[in-house]
This record gives sequence, structure tokens and C-alpha cells, in this order.
Amino acid sequence: MALSLMVNGVRHSLDVEGDTPLLWVLRDELGLKGTKFGCGVGLCGACTVHINGEATRSCSIPVSAVAGDEVVTIEGLGDGDTMHALQKAWIEHGVPQCGYCQSGQIMSAAYLLANNPAPARDEIVAAMTGNLCRCGTYTRIIEAVESVVSGASTQTEGA
Amino acid sequence: MSLNRREFLKVSAGASGSLLLSLSLPGCAGLQTGYQEETGQWRPDAWLELTRDDRIFFTLARVEMGQGTYTGLTTLIAEELDVRPETIEQRFAPVADEYRNPLYNLQLTGGSTSVATSWEPLRTAGASARQMLVMAAARVWNVEAINCSTREGRVVHPNGIDSMPYGKLVELASKEVIRGDVALKPRDQWKYIGKQNHRLDAELKSTGAPIYGIDVELPEMVHAVVTRSPRYGGKAREFNADSVRAMPGVLDVFEIDRGIAVVADKYWRARKAQAALKVDWDYSEALGLSTADVFESYSRAAKDEEGESERSEGDYDEAEASADKVVEAEYEQPYLAHSTLEPMNATAWYRGARMEVWAATQGPDLARIAVARVTDLSPEDVTVNTTFLGGGFGRRLTQDYIEEVAAIAFRTDRPVKLIWSREEDTQHDLYRPAMLHRMKASLKQGDVTGWHHQIVGPQILNWYVRNAGPAQFPWTPKFLYDTLGTVGVWAEGIATPKDTSAIEGAVEYPYQVANIDIRHTQTDPGVPISYWRSVGYSHNGFAVETFMDELAHEAGEDPYRFRRRMLAQEPRYLAVLDRVARLGNWSGDLPDGRARGIAVVRSFGTYVAQVVEAGIENGAIRVYRVSAAVDCGQAINPRIVSDQIEGGILFGLTAALYGEITLEQGEVQQSNFHNYQLLRQYDKPEVAVDIIDSQAAPTGVGEPGVPPVIPALGNALFALTGKRQRTLPLKADA
Repeated sequence: MALSLMVNGVRHSLDVEGDTPLLWVLRDELGLKGTKFGCGVGLCGACTVHINGEATRSCSIPVSAVAGDEVVTIEGLGDGDTMHALQKAWIEHGVPQCGYCQSGQIMSAAYLLANNPAPARDEIVAAMTGNLCRCGTYTRIIEAVESVVSGASTQTEGA
Repeated sequence: MSLNRREFLKVSAGASGSLLLSLSLPGCAGLQTGYQEETGQWRPDAWLELTRDDRIFFTLARVEMGQGTYTGLTTLIAEELDVRPETIEQRFAPVADEYRNPLYNLQLTGGSTSVATSWEPLRTAGASARQMLVMAAARVWNVEAINCSTREGRVVHPNGIDSMPYGKLVELASKEVIRGDVALKPRDQWKYIGKQNHRLDAELKSTGAPIYGIDVELPEMVHAVVTRSPRYGGKAREFNADSVRAMPGVLDVFEIDRGIAVVADKYWRARKAQAALKVDWDYSEALGLSTADVFESYSRAAKDEEGESERSEGDYDEAEASADKVVEAEYEQPYLAHSTLEPMNATAWYRGARMEVWAATQGPDLARIAVARVTDLSPEDVTVNTTFLGGGFGRRLTQDYIEEVAAIAFRTDRPVKLIWSREEDTQHDLYRPAMLHRMKASLKQGDVTGWHHQIVGPQILNWYVRNAGPAQFPWTPKFLYDTLGTVGVWAEGIATPKDTSAIEGAVEYPYQVANIDIRHTQTDPGVPISYWRSVGYSHNGFAVETFMDELAHEAGEDPYRFRRRMLAQEPRYLAVLDRVARLGNWSGDLPDGRARGIAVVRSFGTYVAQVVEAGIENGAIRVYRVSAAVDCGQAINPRIVSDQIEGGILFGLTAALYGEITLEQGEVQQSNFHNYQLLRQYDKPEVAVDIIDSQAAPTGVGEPGVPPVIPALGNALFALTGKRQRTLPLKADA
């Protein structure tokens, strides 16, 4: 079935089975590999994207459910060539180790800051608790998010 | 690139009559070194390539799985080459003998060895290239080389004004010959070692760049999934191939050694077809035991066989006979899964009688053997392209997923990507072995006079040697692969290195005790096992450091001072213990409901002591704070050292709090992160890491953070509740 999807500001018309999880459409049909497969059931957060501004686990939502919606992935988080403030903070604080979970971590953090520009520590922890990191980068994640909140990390555009 | 292995591998008959392999020095034969006129590239050695247009490529022979080789090893070469690390472009090494890890004689990344084994060779490589560039510039300027200097990729004239970029000098430099040794920079001239703080892969990993195995995309690529026997070793009797083959997008359904493969045009279609696959399994030769059977078999083995002596000093029995008190305890640890966040996956393309593989692997030379094993191909017909790894922790040392993709690709005329689901990844892992420890100690007037440790469980080499043996001798005819493995196990400790996987962390027992008896009763229940971050130290660390805590309490002494007193001859142990006692405020007051525990373990040459502060809240164990002191010799990148130790602590806490793989009639009971939990942001304690300032040669940091935290937490819980937990994972209501 033909299905219309807006991803990172670009409209796509796709011929895929409607029950295909959005994750595999993003990765394999649109070539957006930044969104990761971790568990397939929404437990790890590696596949987090924004759908109409809401942080959503793309591994467990069928693409038919998001037809016509606006999807933003890690590739579309920044503004053109300018990275999102969180991405800059991630680099500055050297957050990633293996890095596999980090797209999802950043997307969850970006959702938090879009709705709560000045979260307290426990609000950040609560917002980030759905994103697993096997390497153990949790401290650096909090550090990086807080640096954006306090404006300490370069500029804050996009946040 | 053309390789002729035999030219630079010298096989000779050793004293014992066995084959000994001597590895040629890097940069000698094999890989083509020198200058290439057409391309303007100069390869002074196996690692470096400098080009006419001033680019510098560094071939990274130790894979990047989060532990920081990409940054750390680049830093070593950049320091001596005198260029900024950010200006170097990395490539992952192809399979070649130059890139073997000298400690294993295999091209593998593991054992926290990357920095330790690269420290001299990579700095020497950088310094040699720099020296040749300086000699070339001196010749051009007609000055003495010794009066020239370098600065960020340029050779500077003795006048301090003129300079030439390296790119302009590569052709001339390639003709220079260094006589004698190359001097390495004295430490007071280091610009990057011990200072470099930015991870060079952070941008790739913060922007969603397609750098992992799972991201590989090839033209006309198809997708495969594999249904494996729920019980290890089961064989398919029959399966409904025809009806599955008729499903949308399905290209083929067939049996491979390890299960039934479904190949489809799209991943999701392969998964849907797999759901319709019905397999009748023949379990006649499959693993049918349950976890309780494993520990029962361990207990039986422990009683029946005292095991092989691994260390014996004095006379333990004598010590026990004259003791005031003998303390005994048994510890049990479960099977553990690796749970890399990137599930196992690999891509392969069979064409023109060759196979090319793209995969996140810790052992690309073993991957070649894996391909050869399941196809008609020889290792030379196989190219392995290594990607970034979405986690390794030892899981990607075993090439089972490569065997699968190769078997499928061999029967498919298009490139194939195989992805495991999380459930498959959890249930078909090769686990950290379950282990049993029987400990005894004799005490006399508060002093430990005897220490007896019987380790009961399998050794990992027996599983690993299957592909590791042939990878060391890749010209071996394939029908001898398994023989080579068998010989490898038989010759273990004689012609091949001793497998310390079961005993490491026990045999190094550092405390001053006159009578020591450490034994290993080897018994293997047949559950697949592998190396798991910190390997033997992960279980021996728990047994030794918990039992030491028990003895301290028996002796009525503070556990920190008790250890301290018995480590008087071990300055590096003492230093980390003392540092962590201060950092963790060992003797300080605590709020009600909290307690501290301490432990110290040296693993992979690195000393780590930790203090854990924990309590029980709402019926769950809560870890508030972990303090760690680390002596890893010279820290190349203090920030990465600290992050690795912290990562190890959280990895260890996951095991201590949740980690347990159980079997029921051969079937793994856990499947995904709801019943095989990992530590989450909410559970994360505050972590403080102190690095001891040291000029000793660097040792690894990827694994050593793991072992101490498990006993330190258990010891804290004992201090809190008065109940000793000797089985992992730890429980709030023990």
C-alpha cells in the first residue's frame, strides 16, 4: 500500500506493508540508519524518534499508525548543517562509548528540553530512564544535558 | 593488497616438538610498505600511511567497541608523529599477520590489552616516520637533521622560520633509512598522552552516522533471520519450508548447521515469515539440563575431584590442623549474558568464488575461519571488513553469527544481512560460565594462616579454540580444523598458552598468607560459554573479596585495615586501597539505613579498589555511591580511563543486582530487557574515580572496573543487614 510520511521535513511516498514497524522503514526504506534497533519491544529506547513532537519508540509502532505524521530522527534533529545543542554537548562531554544507544538518548533528551527547558536533575533522570546504555555513560549523559540547560555548552539553539 | 603469509611466518619445531609460531616484526614483510608513485602514498609501516596531499591515515588493528582504542591508539601515534590526533584519519585493519595481538597470536581485541601491547610499537612507528620526514627535510635544506624539529605536521628548519609540511616530504622520506634505535619523546614533551581529552569518535556517534555492522547497506541486499533450536544442539527433523517460502517477499528457506534460515527481500518480511515457521526439533543430542542440574553437577565434581593444583605454598592442611578456627564458605555465580545493545548481526556477499563479510567483530581472523568452516572457501578467499561495534564485552570474540551469515550467503546470489532479535541474542548467547567456589581459611590469633580455594567449573578455551586454533594457522586444511582445536586444548599450558579463564583472580591471591592451596576442578556441563567483560576475575573477584570480608569479620577487624595489614608487601595494592578509603570516606558517618563495603582486585595488570555505599529502599537494593581508585600505570587519556572504570562499575552492578541466565530443560528462560534487566539511569549511583599518578607502562582499563564492585556491594549489604549473601545476584530480602 502507498503510504505518505513526512520525515525530517521531507515528504516520502512509500510502498510498504502497513504493519512494518516505523524503525525498519526509516532504516531500510529511507536509509536513515541513525535510529537503532535494540530490543524490538520498546524497552531500551535505542529507536527513539519524535512523532509530531512526541518521543516515540519507532520499533514498536507500525508505519501505518504514523501516516501523515511528522517524524524527526537524529539525522534531522539539528538545523541543516548546524547540530542541535545537545549533539554539541554530547561531543564536548565525550558522552558516547560504543555509541549505539546515543541517538536514542539524544532524542529523548531533546524531547525533554523541548517541553521543559530547565529541568531539575531528578526530572532529567526520570526522562532518561527509559534509555538503556550497556557501556554505562549515564553520568556523562546527565552532565551533557545539564550543560545545555545551564547554557554552558556552546549555544542553545534548537533546545 | 597481496599477502603471502608464509613469507613472514616462520614455523619451526620447538623444544617440545610442537609447532611454535614466531611473529615477524610489524612493518617488515607482508603488507606492502614504501612509497607508491601513482598514488602519492607512503606507508612506512603496517599502521601509517602519509600522502602527498598531506593526509595521514592510521590503520587501527584493535577494534573500537566503546573502550576507546580509536582515540587512545591514535593518540599514541600522533604524539610521536607530532601531529594533532584530530588530523589523523582512521581505518579498521584488514586481516593480516602484522595486526595480530602479540599476546594471543590472533588479531583479536580483548583482555584489556590494546593500549598495553600498542604502547611501545605504535609510539615507535610514529617516531620512526617522523624521524624519516626530518631526515628528508634536512637533506633538502642541506642542514643537520638533529637541528630540525617538527610541529603539528611540519618539519621546521633550524632557523625556526622555514618549514615544510609532511606531505611534501613523503616521497623523499620513504627513501631514508634509520640506523639504530629511534628515540621516543621524553614524557615532559608530551602534548597529547595523559592530556588528550576528546574522544575522536564522539561526533560520528552523536549524529547517527551509519558506522555499525547493522548499518551496512549493499546493492540488491536481502535480509535473513535464523530460527535456532531452543535447546542447544537440537537438530531440525522437519519444517514447513514450502508454506513459509510462499509468504510475501520470502526468497528462500533452508537449513544451515545452526538452524533454519529465512531469506526475504525485507527484514520485517523475513521476521513475519519466521513467525509462521514450524520446526520439529530432534532433541536427542541436545542440552536438556536445568540450572539446578548445573550446580548439582558442580557440587558432585567438587566432592569427587579435588582438582588440579594451580598454586600451592606451605601446607594448608597443617595450617588447618593448628588453627584456632576454620572458616568455610561456598559461593555460586550464575550464567550471564553479554547483552551488547547492538544485537548480533553480519552482512556477507558471495560472488566470484570469494566472500566478503562486513561485521562488528573482535576477531576478524577468526571470522575468516568461521566463513571457511561453513563454505567451500579457504580463509584466503575471504575478506573481512570490520565496523564499529555497538558493544563487545567479549561477545564478539566468538564468530557464531559469522558462521550463520556465511552459510546463508553461500547459498544466496545477493548480499545478505543477518540480524538477530533481542530474544535470539539473549537466548543463544555464549554465557559467562556459572561457577562454584569452595573456600576455606584457617585463623590463628586473628591472623589468616591458611587459604584454600577450590574453583569448580569449565574453562573457556575449550569452546573458543574451535575457530581460534585454525585462525593461528590459517593454511591448515579444513578437515584438520577440529583436530587443531583438540590439540590446542590438549596442549594447553604446554605448546599453547595456559587458559586462565577459570582461575584468574584466584591464583594471584595477593594477601600475605603462609599456606595457600588453590585448585581448579574442571567440569563442563555443556552450556555454551565465552569471555565476558573481566572473564575469570568477574567470579573469582567476588569469591575472594567476599571471603576476605568474612574473615575480617571473623577476626573482628575492620575490613579495610584487615586487607591493608595483609598487603604490606604490595605497594600498588596499598596505594589504591588507601586512596579509595579516603575518597569513599570509609570511616565517615553515614545516615541510618546505609552501609559501606570495600574490595580490591587487580585484573589485567590494573589495580582497582572500590568502596560502595548502599542501602535497602522500598524492598530493593539501592546503591548510592561507588568510589574507585585506579592504578593503570600511565593513563593515556584520563577521561577515557575514568569513563571505562565507571562503565565497568555499572556493568558489574548490573550483574550484582539483576544478572542471571537460567535454564529449564535446556531452554534459556530470559529473553529481553524485562526479564534480563540492565542498570538504568534511575538506578545509577554517584560514581567517583581517582587515578593514581603513575609512570609505569600502561595497562588496560576496559575490564578492571567490573570485578571489585560486586563483592564491595555484597560486603556493604552484610555490614547493613548482618546477613552474608554467597549467591549472585544479590537480593534485598536475603
